[in-house]
Amino acid sequence: MTALSESEALHVRVRAFARGALAGERAPESFDELAVAIAAHQARSVPGFRRLVEASGATLTDGGAIPAVPVDAFRLARVAAHPPELDAARFLTSGTTTSTPGRHAMRTTGTYRELSLAWGARALVRPPATRVVVALAPPPGPEPSSSLAFMMRAFMEAFDGRPLEATAAGTFDPLATGRWLASPRGIDVDGLARALEIARRRSEPALVLATGFALVLLLDALGSRSLPAPPGSVVMTTGGFKGKTREIAPAELARQVARALALDERSVVGEYGMTELTSQLYEGTLPGGGLHGRRGLFVPPPWLRVTAVDPETLLPVARGQVGIARFVDLGNVDSAVAIVTQDEIRNEADGIELLGRRRGSPARGCSLAIEEMVLGARSP
Amino acid sequence: MNEQRRAEQRVRRLVEAARRIADPGDALGREARRVLPAATGLSAEGVELALGRSLETEPSDAEIEALLASVPAAPRAHVLLSANVFVAAHRAVALALAASSTVEVRPSRREPSMVRLLARGAPDLFRVVEELEPAPGDHFWAYGSDETMTAIGRSLPHGVCFHAHGGGIGAVALDLRATSDERVAELAAAVADDVVLFDQRGCLSPRVVVVVGSEAVTRGFAAALAAALAALSVRVPRGLLGRAEAADAVRYRDAIRFAAELLAAGPGWVGVDVHAGPVVVAPVGRHVHVMRAEDASVALSPLRRAMAALAIDGDPDWARVIRQEFAGARISPPGRMQRPPFDGAVDRRTPAVIT
Repeated sequence: MTALSESEALHVRVRAFARGALAGERAPESFDELAVAIAAHQARSVPGFRRLVEASGATLTDGGAIPAVPVDAFRLARVAAHPPELDAARFLTSGTTTSTPGRHAMRTTGTYRELSLAWGARALVRPPATRVVVALAPPPGPEPSSSLAFMMRAFMEAFDGRPLEATAAGTFDPLATGRWLASPRGIDVDGLARALEIARRRSEPALVLATGFALVLLLDALGSRSLPAPPGSVVMTTGGFKGKTREIAPAELARQVARALALDERSVVGEYGMTELTSQLYEGTLPGGGLHGRRGLFVPPPWLRVTAVDPETLLPVARGQVGIARFVDLGNVDSAVAIVTQDEIRNEADGIELLGRRRGSPARGCSLAIEEMVLGARSP
Repeated sequence: MNEQRRAEQRVRRLVEAARRIADPGDALGREARRVLPAATGLSAEGVELALGRSLETEPSDAEIEALLASVPAAPRAHVLLSANVFVAAHRAVALALAASSTVEVRPSRREPSMVRLLARGAPDLFRVVEELEPAPGDHFWAYGSDETMTAIGRSLPHGVCFHAHGGGIGAVALDLRATSDERVAELAAAVADDVVLFDQRGCLSPRVVVVVGSEAVTRGFAAALAAALAALSVRVPRGLLGRAEAADAVRYRDAIRFAAELLAAGPGWVGVDVHAGPVVVAPVGRHVHVMRAEDASVALSPLRRAMAALAIDGDPDWARVIRQEFAGARISPPGRMQRPPFDGAVDRRTPAVIT
């Protein structure tokens, strides 16, 4: 079997696993079996991962023992089991003003799309069947370099899929400017009002997809005004405030957004995703939604295992203790099935609590604390 | 006696105290060797190395003259010290004494020993205090993280002259295009000397080496550096790493093992990137990232603001260009990064400001 056909078969198995898990069916294979099969595929095709396996002495028989690739590796090297000419998408991390962005190459976006939609539907969608979907984000272009924009576009297609304007004829256009309501000038408040009005005329709710910072900009633009959304509307909020001038705690942001849009506060749902992952986690706050959990608790899908690990030993910490996040993401068939981040989390029974980024060591003296280990651009 | 002469006498009295601390036969020197390993986390050998190599005990007259000229006269001088590089207390207090006859010093809570030893060696020269209370017109020197500097800058009363010395790192730029194997080994040994001092926790400690040369010579240098660090670790064992430091080392080890080449270097790691990737800052604790670059200035440019020290070796014309590019950093040859002349603050990047 070639690496390509092996990858293709693994994608099929992952999608089958996800469908079965969501349907509550008895899985044809376990999470660990599938994780180990993906790891073995990557060890054969990714030299860097093979070195990690060899150095760790892991035998790749247990999902918990798969060596995790640090997310920094995505900024230092290509993390892919396939050659660049087979890339279907290359998603870039946001980086910072001084650091190099990371890159997650995908050979196919089919699995990403299917898994995102499946878990997104659980977290964000409830009857009726249709809704108006818009994003407080800039239009991504035909080949988005942002995995978040790709996912937002997929949500627009799957959860709405109709022309936005009532008068518009023809087919759904995911790049219609009326759906992407942010630009360097700020948030298009009039555009959002228009979208909410369209939803109201259709007697449908709206689904507003946004980064946390975009919602702050919306609140700033609205001031003391409110912009009531139709009943049953939902706001998905994601991302932090890296490099931004203003920051609001997630719970407070949810409260203020709910007030501004006349929503139940529980309808503002947090999402946690990373460019280096294929899968996402959500808060289970939406009444009538498919996930259940309190504010601040992020629920992973069955095809994603998140473990708080000790940053020094990389071994799991006791339940309730703080560790850095280790992900085993079955969706990462062609990149790194196990990754470790510098995000601190706490594992709880039904999800994880996000606690922010682990601080680098030397905040205690004159040796510089390098929060971003990888800096600058590649040399010419 | 004029004020300049009195300032010189104050500085020379402090240097004499430092000389006693460096002397293993002096009671103060014995006390230093007893308390400093626990206070700093360095091994006993690491403390000894630092006392012998980096504590300024024999500054030249010209250096002292330059140090005196590097600071303005002040009615009162206040010093807030950081931990990590224990000998830095000496220069920090000397600068304050050069500026004022009234000096108050607040040591780091983690490492208060060195400044107390200096105070014992030079009684009545300055006061060690728990809190600093600067008034308008006073000068305030602070050493620590950038966050600490920002917080202090906000909290000082108006009219205080603030000398902020925040975080920094060291780097090395080597032109190895026409260098013999013997010279490569010498340079690796010199860089290792700079790395080992203070277990790399200082702002003068090199954490990145940029090599201009072939892939082979870059790998050869990295291997020689790893060997030199391993050999040094036998003679000067690394001290204890904090949990966060150890975690940073694991992060660096695994990222580089995935993305580049990784060499064991005693208790630390040397990462090697021969493909001109982005600059990576190795964590403290005797880890060094060696990267090949076509243009060292371009490769190091992301570190420009952070770079407190830069060691350079290579073709003179090439070295001149690099020196000009990073004029804000302390420039030295490899092996001399941790021994800058006693001629002023080691960190020359940030001018003083009036709050």
